Amino acid sequence: MKRVGIDIGGTFTDFFFWDDETRSMTTLKVPSTPEDPSIAGAEGLQQLCRQAGIKAEEIGLLLHGTTVATNIVVQHKGARVGLITTRGFRDILHIGRKNRPLNFSNYQSLPRQSRPIVKRRHRLAVAERISAAGDILQPLEVEEVRTAVRTLKAQGVEAIAVCGLFAFVNPAHELAIKAIIDAEFPGAYVTMSHEVVPLYREYERFSTTALNAYVGPQTATYLQNFATRLEAAGFSAELHLMSSSGGAVSSERARQNPVSLLLSGPVGALVAGIEVGREIGCPSVITLDVGGTSADIGVAPRGELRMKHLLDTRVGDYDAMVPMVDIDTIGAGGGSVAYIDQGGMFRVGPHSAGAKPGPACYGHGGERATVTDAIACLGWFRPQALRNSGLELQPQLAEAAIEEQIAGPLQLSRPQAADGIYRVITTHMVEAIRVNSVAKGYDPREFALLAFGGAGAAFAVEVGRQLHVQRVVIPRHPGVGAASGLLNTDMKYEFMATVWQDLSRVDGAALQRAYRNLSGQARDSLRSDGFADGDIQLLWKADCRYRGQGYELTVEAPAGATDADWAAAVSEAFHRAHEQLYLRRFEDKAVHLINIRVIGVGHMPRLKFATAGAGDSSPQAALVARQNAYFRRGDSVGVFDTPFYCRQRLKSGNRIRGPAIVEQADTTTVITPEATAVVDELGNLNIGFDGGAA
Amino acid sequence: MSSAARTPLQTLVEAAASTGVGNRIERDWTRVEVDPVTLQVIGGATKAIAAEMAQLLFRMAYSSIMRESRDIGAGILDCSGRQLCESDSTPMHCGSLPAYIKGIERKLAGSYRPGDVILHNHPYHGASHAPDFGIIVPIFLRDKHVGFAACTGHMVDIGAANPGFSVDVPDIWAEGLLIDCAKIYRAGERNQALWDVLQDNVRTPEANAGDMEAMIACCRLGARRFAELLQKYGLDTVMSAAEMWMDYAERMLRQRIAAIADGVYTAPDGWLEDDGKHFGKALKICTQVVVAGEDIYIDLSGSAGEVETGFNCPFTGSVLPTANFAIRTLLLDEALLAEEVPQNDGVFRPVHVFAPEGSIFNPRYPRGCEARFVQINRLPDQILQAFSPSMPESVTAGNSATVSCLAYSGANADSADDSYWVDIEINEGAYGARCGMDGLDAVDNLMANTRNNPIEETELNTPMRCERYELRDDPPAAGRWRGGIGAVRRWRFLQPVSVGSTGDNRQQDPPRGVFGGHPGKPGRLLLNPDGERPQSLPAKLTDVRFERGDVLEITLVSAAGYGDPLQRDPQQVLADVLDGYLSAPQARRDYGVVIDPPSGLDLPATEALRRQRAGGH
Repeated sequence: MKRVGIDIGGTFTDFFFWDDETRSMTTLKVPSTPEDPSIAGAEGLQQLCRQAGIKAEEIGLLLHGTTVATNIVVQHKGARVGLITTRGFRDILHIGRKNRPLNFSNYQSLPRQSRPIVKRRHRLAVAERISAAGDILQPLEVEEVRTAVRTLKAQGVEAIAVCGLFAFVNPAHELAIKAIIDAEFPGAYVTMSHEVVPLYREYERFSTTALNAYVGPQTATYLQNFATRLEAAGFSAELHLMSSSGGAVSSERARQNPVSLLLSGPVGALVAGIEVGREIGCPSVITLDVGGTSADIGVAPRGELRMKHLLDTRVGDYDAMVPMVDIDTIGAGGGSVAYIDQGGMFRVGPHSAGAKPGPACYGHGGERATVTDAIACLGWFRPQALRNSGLELQPQLAEAAIEEQIAGPLQLSRPQAADGIYRVITTHMVEAIRVNSVAKGYDPREFALLAFGGAGAAFAVEVGRQLHVQRVVIPRHPGVGAASGLLNTDMKYEFMATVWQDLSRVDGAALQRAYRNLSGQARDSLRSDGFADGDIQLLWKADCRYRGQGYELTVEAPAGATDADWAAAVSEAFHRAHEQLYLRRFEDKAVHLINIRVIGVGHMPRLKFATAGAGDSSPQAALVARQNAYFRRGDSVGVFDTPFYCRQRLKSGNRIRGPAIVEQADTTTVITPEATAVVDELGNLNIGFDGGAA
Repeated sequence: MSSAARTPLQTLVEAAASTGVGNRIERDWTRVEVDPVTLQVIGGATKAIAAEMAQLLFRMAYSSIMRESRDIGAGILDCSGRQLCESDSTPMHCGSLPAYIKGIERKLAGSYRPGDVILHNHPYHGASHAPDFGIIVPIFLRDKHVGFAACTGHMVDIGAANPGFSVDVPDIWAEGLLIDCAKIYRAGERNQALWDVLQDNVRTPEANAGDMEAMIACCRLGARRFAELLQKYGLDTVMSAAEMWMDYAERMLRQRIAAIADGVYTAPDGWLEDDGKHFGKALKICTQVVVAGEDIYIDLSGSAGEVETGFNCPFTGSVLPTANFAIRTLLLDEALLAEEVPQNDGVFRPVHVFAPEGSIFNPRYPRGCEARFVQINRLPDQILQAFSPSMPESVTAGNSATVSCLAYSGANADSADDSYWVDIEINEGAYGARCGMDGLDAVDNLMANTRNNPIEETELNTPMRCERYELRDDPPAAGRWRGGIGAVRRWRFLQPVSVGSTGDNRQQDPPRGVFGGHPGKPGRLLLNPDGERPQSLPAKLTDVRFERGDVLEITLVSAAGYGDPLQRDPQQVLADVLDGYLSAPQARRDYGVVIDPPSGLDLPATEALRRQRAGGH
């Protein structure tokens, strides 16, 4: 099959074309068109086809990663949303969990109050109440609903979130409200809490549903525009979208449940990293995806995506209870600013000079010393390093900024100051990775650290050395990692329900019904994607906790009879997961099964790259320059005569001893003095440390 | 007592106490130069250790008060009891760790061995109050004792006279188990007898055991991570860097204090409703803040004497951390700072407090002192009031500045192994309006910062049903910037329930408006509001029984307004009317804004009315 991954970011739109038969690839990067991202998407796709020499209709699958939904939330540009809820609970979204983000502040804002997703005037309560057991305590007052819908319509609301207490147990009232909306206000985008996230916890469920309504209309329009453009250009393949849980979903599902697209942006690189890990025989990977302003850190033990804890699934200022791949974003990138604060303390980041004016060495008027300037000062970037992005670096501007702002005040030499900036920023990355790996019970020595993004390869070797990872790997095309990751993504549909049972005395029949029901929904979704039943995998999951605890851990559950043996197996899986994450297990405590989930997986073929041309151990043929550069060795910073290699000309088997720099169009790899890189058969740079080179 | 009512500065300086230890300590390590980069690296690492400790505790803890309400604190301290780093959890636990260390040092100094785990909760020896258990693990580098990993956490029940909160108790023994510096593990071996005693004498042994396990794991993790840091950089370098970070934090705070004119800043007297026994007998709070150079002295002389109930505040474990919180929040507001200032010994050093012994803020053993949060939360508000005239751009109007905690309990209907269920709810407060910003609605105020329990969780776990959880109906306190709105909750009991509570409805002394802003609105507890005879209840309840079918309505305090309401942007007033916070007649009455429902805001009429009102004064 011929497949294309399309990753649309704020600045660039990346394409990755792959032909399974010929195992050939074509990549393309074009500027994004933020006013309507589907323009660059469709036009770039046509350009890609010309470049690859294929016709539009030959493409069998289009996988798309988009930040459209995320940007709507972050930029506060969503629909005018109305909310219909249970009488007595109008302000659930306003009160939230009643905590405030900052402890030591009288002057903070609460975005849920100062910039609500649904203004109070659009939050209307109607008489209705379902009990925790699902009984109707107060029947729905139909006339009140009708009045509420008319009010919202008159207020100019475009989307309505229907959020009833305990609707996840009994959705009758939410369904009745939707029917009234459909009759009174056809054309409104309607979304119900029991459909978006049928789980207990009213604030999180309501907030997720409101977000779904907030991004819904525009996301639907965007998807429609894209589909129309593709159709006009002769593409017949249906668009599938990357979701925040790390699987792809159909356009239809994305339209109904756009909240699942939130924060899906950084997932592609992690998925790409997992595949590289599989190729090189080191399935446990950590990905470090660094751009200008931030670094995304992903950790996948044994190649498995980990999901975020419920308390961390936030999008911008708002809470969303949707499965999200655990990716941590920190304010550390090439543009991070170095400075001395009012108390005389030396700081790097989290403020960034951004893309404009950017680092001083870009020559775009940026005056503040940044991490990129430090790297330029250390001599790791030749002026032409960013020529591909239309930039000629001006190292003298970097030197002046660092001299004046850092080296002078701290009474350090310029290379010492630059090295200091580099050490601080890499330490931030190391600490963030430790919190996401070591602190959660994983041993970095079993992991490979993979660099992605334009800047990841400038830090990965040093970060990997400090973390004591097994090795550092720079994949072939770190800069288009997200687009290639899309093509290694399986179709995934997740369905869930709250069941609230004690595993020591499960109601097996009820559980079986619930699992079967979710399985049916997952299977139907995959069938409509064209998967045969034999190609569909149904994964059963169980969200468990010890009795009285407030948050669950999700573990795998055997798909089959839900009897006492099944319950025992799930309990044991939970004890093990608890011990892994929290160091202890409480064998004598009752385990409660709170939610169940079924994930339907439609497997996609993986990219199988052709092997790189073989060579001997000498990288001499790829040498493009030798010049002085500064590196830290032990406790001091010294100057080294440093070779610069061209990535494209490296052959498998080539061995590069640090210090060395490897240049390629989309990134620069910095190999520090203690490290040695070996080019593997697939063209990856495998980097190990003194003695233990891969 | 009366002679101490207005203390001259010199006497005050001598009598006042501080959490800060400072640099005049005996070191068994050598202070060395640390380069700015290593300093930054070690600063980041210590911060990460505290964050990791808290992260582990939140998620491993068993009870909802630690897990969901995050009523915990964690950090690393050196051998002198100086705090090096602290988790960012709830403010009440922030800065209380040094007092726990002081408490255990008096008995255990020199006796620490690797593998020891110490439990301490004595409020007259540093604990914040008895339910806040402190777990302390001494840290060793090879065989040398180099510091402590410590955490505090609020236990659901510690075997007091009644389940949950009990205000009306005679003394400290009625408030539950007292553990004064007990080694719960001695060189790695658990004292099983002590462990059993601890679980056998509480109503929630399962939750307590789970929570203590989590606290121990949290400290062990901190100790291990800090020892690793010492191994990597060496004791001298790490401790020197830590000291430099303390000096940095101290410098940052002192810079701000120095910018305030020297002098005495006095808050209007505040009044607490009662002590939970002598209802109607108000208790006075006197607050003078003295700024002298780079130091701040808070003088609580003249405040009410200690009371007969548990409504007293432990001085070192509660009053001092509160003063530290108030000053740091006012002068180093996180939302306004470009950089993070670490919460270490340095920020405590410039802050000093005096409260006469035998007063409500410095009670004498063995007075009960469990129910101290209400008084505590008034202190930052009093300090803001004191600075209000001179720092208009940094203060807030009067806050709810109390806390309403209710504990519901009853017999478990369906389980033989666990006779009690206890559900603790810390209700929300509201922030006073700020310069340029409205107050925050229905949110934990000042020293409190916890999460609520989902209603759906409480209903799934307990025989209670929520009938209302919303903002109050009455309009917010008017002002150029309006006060934060309190919440209202209604619980219907499906089985007989026992309730204990601590709180203050501020009926007689509502939050104060500033610069022309209106005062806040008192709260209330009302039994069966829709019944034939609704009954008003005091804020403090000691083991009050409610019957099946009873409904308890809890209305929380709304905070005060800031500035003249006639100066509020008419568009904002219109928005408040559209959002249902006030009616059009109320907009006219309080703000001089004319809103004509069909056509909206009538600006010319508003201007005319406002001119007339301004002239009429």
